Amino acid sequence: MKYSPAVTKALAQLRELSVVAHREVEQVLPAIVPHGEDVALQWLAACTALFSFERDAGKAFIRGSLDVERVSETVLPWTGQALAFMQWRASWRALEGFMANVARAYGSLGHAGEQRWAEIGFQWCARQIESGAAYFATPVLELAGRHGGITAIEQLAAPAEELYESRKLMLSTYLPGAIRVRNLLGAQAILSWASRGADIMQSGRARGEAYFRLESEESLSLLLEHLPGYRLTDRNRLLAMLLDVWFGGEFDLRESAWSPEKGRPFIETDGRSIYFPAVMADREEAILAVLHTAGHMRYRTFDRTAMQDMFAEAKVDFPKTGVVSWAPLFMRFGDDALRFQLVFDICEDLRVDFGVQHNVPNYLKRMRNAAHGLGVRHPETAAYYDLALASLDAALAHGSGGAVDPRFAPLFEPGATVADAYRVAVTIHRTMSLPAVTDLEAFHAAYLPGRSPNASRMAHPQESDDESQQTQSGADQNSQQQEEGGEETEAPKNAESGDQGEDGEKQEMPSYGDSSGQSARASGQSDKEGPHHGSSDKGIPYPEWDYRESRYKRNWSWVQEKRLAESNMAETQRLMKQYANALKRLKKAIQSQKPTRTAPLTQQLDGDDMDLNAVVSYVAEKRAGRSPRPNIYKRREIRQREVAVTLLADMSTSIMQHLPEGGGRLVDRVRAGVLLFAESMEEVGDAYSIAGFCSKYRDNVSYYTLKGFDETMSEDIRAQIGGMSGRLATRMGAAIRHATARFEGVESRRRLLLILSDGRPEDYDDGGDRRYLHEDTRMAVKEAVAKGVHPFCVTVDTMANQYLPQIFGPGHYLVLDHINSLPNKLPEIYLRLRR
Amino acid sequence: MKTATSRVRGVEHDIVQMPQVGDVSPYYEPQGNEVAVFEAAYKRRLPVMLKGPTGCGKTRFLEYMAFQLKRPLVTVSCHEDLTSSDLVGRFLLEGADTIWHDGPLTRAVKTGAICYLDEIVEARTDSTVVIHSLTDHRRKLTIEKKGQEIDAHEDFMLVISYNPGYQTVLKDLKPSTKQRFIAINFDFPPEEVERKILLREVPGTKPEIAQQLVAIGRKARLLKDHGLEESTSTRALVYAASMMGAGLDPVVACQVAMVNPITDDVELSDALMEIVNAHFA
Repeated sequence: MKYSPAVTKALAQLRELSVVAHREVEQVLPAIVPHGEDVALQWLAACTALFSFERDAGKAFIRGSLDVERVSETVLPWTGQALAFMQWRASWRALEGFMANVARAYGSLGHAGEQRWAEIGFQWCARQIESGAAYFATPVLELAGRHGGITAIEQLAAPAEELYESRKLMLSTYLPGAIRVRNLLGAQAILSWASRGADIMQSGRARGEAYFRLESEESLSLLLEHLPGYRLTDRNRLLAMLLDVWFGGEFDLRESAWSPEKGRPFIETDGRSIYFPAVMADREEAILAVLHTAGHMRYRTFDRTAMQDMFAEAKVDFPKTGVVSWAPLFMRFGDDALRFQLVFDICEDLRVDFGVQHNVPNYLKRMRNAAHGLGVRHPETAAYYDLALASLDAALAHGSGGAVDPRFAPLFEPGATVADAYRVAVTIHRTMSLPAVTDLEAFHAAYLPGRSPNASRMAHPQESDDESQQTQSGADQNSQQQEEGGEETEAPKNAESGDQGEDGEKQEMPSYGDSSGQSARASGQSDKEGPHHGSSDKGIPYPEWDYRESRYKRNWSWVQEKRLAESNMAETQRLMKQYANALKRLKKAIQSQKPTRTAPLTQQLDGDDMDLNAVVSYVAEKRAGRSPRPNIYKRREIRQREVAVTLLADMSTSIMQHLPEGGGRLVDRVRAGVLLFAESMEEVGDAYSIAGFCSKYRDNVSYYTLKGFDETMSEDIRAQIGGMSGRLATRMGAAIRHATARFEGVESRRRLLLILSDGRPEDYDDGGDRRYLHEDTRMAVKEAVAKGVHPFCVTVDTMANQYLPQIFGPGHYLVLDHINSLPNKLPEIYLRLRR
Repeated sequence: MKTATSRVRGVEHDIVQMPQVGDVSPYYEPQGNEVAVFEAAYKRRLPVMLKGPTGCGKTRFLEYMAFQLKRPLVTVSCHEDLTSSDLVGRFLLEGADTIWHDGPLTRAVKTGAICYLDEIVEARTDSTVVIHSLTDHRRKLTIEKKGQEIDAHEDFMLVISYNPGYQTVLKDLKPSTKQRFIAINFDFPPEEVERKILLREVPGTKPEIAQQLVAIGRKARLLKDHGLEESTSTRALVYAASMMGAGLDPVVACQVAMVNPITDDVELSDALMEIVNAHFA
C-alpha cells in the first residue's frame, strides 16, 4: 500500500525505533489511513510515544487499534486516552487492559459511555495503578452486569470511591467480589457488604482479602442473609409439614452446602435425605421443588432393582454395595453427556411428577404455571425447557384422557421405573436433534422450576422391600448414633465407662459386690456414686411389667438417686443471655395470666369484701326459713398451690447428637428448655421439681434430682442445668415410677409429670425387644395415673407418633417437630396444661 | 321447615321442649353403631358419655336421638364457674318472698327429659358430684338446700360429652365418675359420609366442591401432631361450604372457616393454606 510521504516518513522513524513495532503497525495502518493523513500521523506518533514509553504498552496499543477503529469508527479519541496512561509509572498493564476492552466499551456503552468508563479508570490509575489495571482488565460486560449500561458501572465504582476516601480500600481488592455481589443482590447491597469488608481488612489483610474473594464464612453468611428470594432455612418446619401432609411419613430434610456462587439453587436428593439450599427464587419454586424431590423418593427413582435394570440397559456395571455414581450412565455419550443428561432428567422427572400428581392435587398444573411464568429462557437450552413443558402437557393430557405424545406414554404406565425413563430418554436423544450444551448456567436453566439435576449427588440405592429398607435405615441410625457418641468432646464425667462400646454385646451384669464388680471400679472408675458398693447403694427397687408373661417382676429395676456431679455456670449464663428475650416474653405472658391465679376466693367465711352472689343467696335462703352458712365474703389471697409438676428429662446418649440442621447439639436445646422452664416456674409460683434419668441394665437406673420440690432455685441449680449431658440408655418405666413416688408428700390437687424425651424407651438389656420396655412404660404410666399423677410426654423424636400413643395414650403427648422451638415451647406447654 | 330446635325465633321458650308433631328431625348421618348403642342405653336408662373431638357431631347426634326417642333435650354447657346451684337450683328473691327455682338438671329429672352436660370436664369437680346419685341404680337427685330428694322421672336420662384433647390432661374426669357411663367414641366421619353431610347441611353445594372440601379436611387433620390443638372439624367444613354458598371465593372461604380459627401459628396456617390452594388451584 502506498502512503503519503509524511506517513512513510513516520513509518521509517518507527522502523528505526523497533522492527517489531514497525511490523505490527503495518498490519493496522491500512485501517487508520482512511481517516486522513493528519489522523494517521497522530496515531503513528502515539505508537512511537507509547512504544518508547514502554515496549509492552506500545505493542498492546498497536494490536488493539484494529478492533477499536472498526467498532468506534474513530481514531483520535481513544488514541488520546491511551496516551494519558503515560502520566503514570508502570501503567502498561492498565493500558493493555484498556486496549483489550475499549472496543467492547464503544460497542456496548456508546461513545459517551466509553468516555465515562475511561474517566473512572483514570481516576483509579491516579490513586493506585494496580486498581486502575484491575479496572481496565475487567471485561466491560462484566463491569456493567447483564442489563446495565454505564450507570451500572458508575454504581459499581461509587462505593469503592467512598471507601477509598474513608478507609483506603483499593479497587483491585474490591472489584471481583463486588461484581458478584452486585449480580446476586443488586447494586444497593454492595456498600454494606464492602464496608464490612473494609473493617475486616483493617483488622487483618489475609482475612479481609478472603472476605472480598467471597471465600470467608462471614462474607458468605452476610451474602446469604441478604440474598433475595424465599429462605428455606427458616421454613424447615413448613416443608416437613407439607411432606407429611402429601406423602405421609418422615423425610430426612437437611440443608445443603449451596452457596450463591454455585449457580441456581436446587433441592436435591440422594435417595436417603432431601437437601435444600438456604434460599430459592420464590416460594412457589421451593414448594414445587420439595414436593418433586420427595416424589423421587416416593416413586422410587433410587430403587435398587430399577437402577440395576437401568445400568444393565446402559451396559454399565452396577456396584453391589455402597453408593452409586450416575456418571457412567452419561459417560457413554462422551461429549454429548450433558445433552443426554438433560433428556434423561426430563423423562425421569416426568415419570415422578406424574406420580406426585396422585398425591398432590393440581400439582402438574401448578408446575406448568410456574414454568410458564418464568419468562426469559436461556437461549442455549430453551429447546430442553420447551421439551419439558411439552412433556408436562402430555402428562396433563394423559390425566384428562386426551391425546398423549406417544414418546412419553411409557412413563405414565403404572409400573414404570427409572429404567423406563432411561429407555425413553435414549430414544428421544437419538431421534431429536437438540442443541449442544456447554455452559453450566445454561444447563441449570434447562430445568423447570422445582426440578433439579438428578445426578448431582451419589445415589443411595433403596431396597425394594420396605421392611428391609426400614431396618437398614434403623441400622444406619444406630451406627450414626455411635459415631456421634464416639466424637463426643465433653465426655460426661460421671458416666460409666464403655457405655457405647458394649451396646452390641448382651452381657449379664456381674452381681453386686463380687470380684468383677470390684475390679471394674478399681480399673479407673472414679465415679463415687457407682452402684458397685454393696447392697445399701443398690437403690430403690421397683417392679417391672413383663408383657410376655403378663405379670410384674418384683424388685426388678433398681433406681439410684444421685446428684449431678458436673455443673457449668458459663453455659448457663450463655443460655440465659441467648434466651433473655424469650424469657422476658414468657414472664410477661405468665404475669398476664396471673390475675386468674390470684382471683378472689368467693364464698369465704371471712374476708375483706362482700361476695354479692353469696349474699343474695344467703338472704334468700334465710328468708325461706333455712339457716345457711354465712360464707358471704370474698378474699384476695394467693390460692393454695393447685399444681405440682416434675420435669423429668431423658438424659440418654442420644441427646448428645448434633442437630441435623446444624447449630449445636440437642443437649443445648434441652438445657435451654429446662432452664427456661425453671425460670418460668419461679414466675408462676407452682411447686416444681426437675430431674433427669438414664439407665444401664435393669439394676442401674440413675435418677438425678436437679431440684427437689422443697428446694429453692439457686445459682447452684442453674449451674447444674448448664452441666446436663447425655449418657447411657432410657429405661423410662422405672424413672416414671420413681418420679411418681417422689410426688408423695406434695400437697397439690393436680400433679403433673412432664417427661422430656427424644426417643423410645430402650435399654442395653432389652434384648432388642422394643415392645418389652414400651409395655413396661405403658404400665408405669397407668400406675402413675392411678396414684393421681398425670404423665405427659414432650418429645422431639419425629417418629414418636408410632409409639407414644400406645404408651401415654392419645392426647397425653406432644411431638415437637422443630427442635429449636423446644426451649420456648416447654414452659408454654406447661402453662397450657395447667390451665 | 321447622325442626325441634328451631321453633319460634326470637321468643323465649322453656328449656324443656317436647318434640311436636310436624317437627322435622334434625339431620344426622350415622357413622357406625352409635344409634343402636344409644337406643339400648336409653331402654335401660343408663347414662351415656359421648367422647370425641370438637365439631365431629356429638351434639347433633344427641339432638337427633332425642327427637327419635321423642324426649325433650335439656342442654347445659359447662364452664369452670358452674356451681351445683346452677345445675340443681337456687332460692331467688321475688318481691318480699323467696322462691325456689329449679335448675336445668332438676327440671329434666322431674319432666323425664334427656339432660346433656356438654364439656363436663370444664365444670368444677364439686359440681359434677351431684350427678353421682343420678348415674347409678338410685337415680335420685338430692336437693341439699331444700333438704329434699327427687326420684328421677322414669324417662330421665343423663348424657355428658367430653373431648379428650391434651388441654384436659389435668382436668380429666375422675375414674369413679367415668365408669358410671356407657361411652360412645366419636371421630370425624368417613370420607363418604362427610361428603354426604356437606351436601345435606349446605343445600346447593356442588358435589365436586364437597369432594374437595372433604379431601382438604382429611389432609388438614394429618397436621394434628404438628401443634394443632384442634383439628379441622366437620363443622368447619360445613362452615366453609356455607361461606362458599354465600358467594365467597373458595380459597377465602376455606381460610376464614378452616384455617384462621384453629391456629395462630404462621407456618401451620401456611401449610394449611397450601392444602387449600392445591385443591382449589
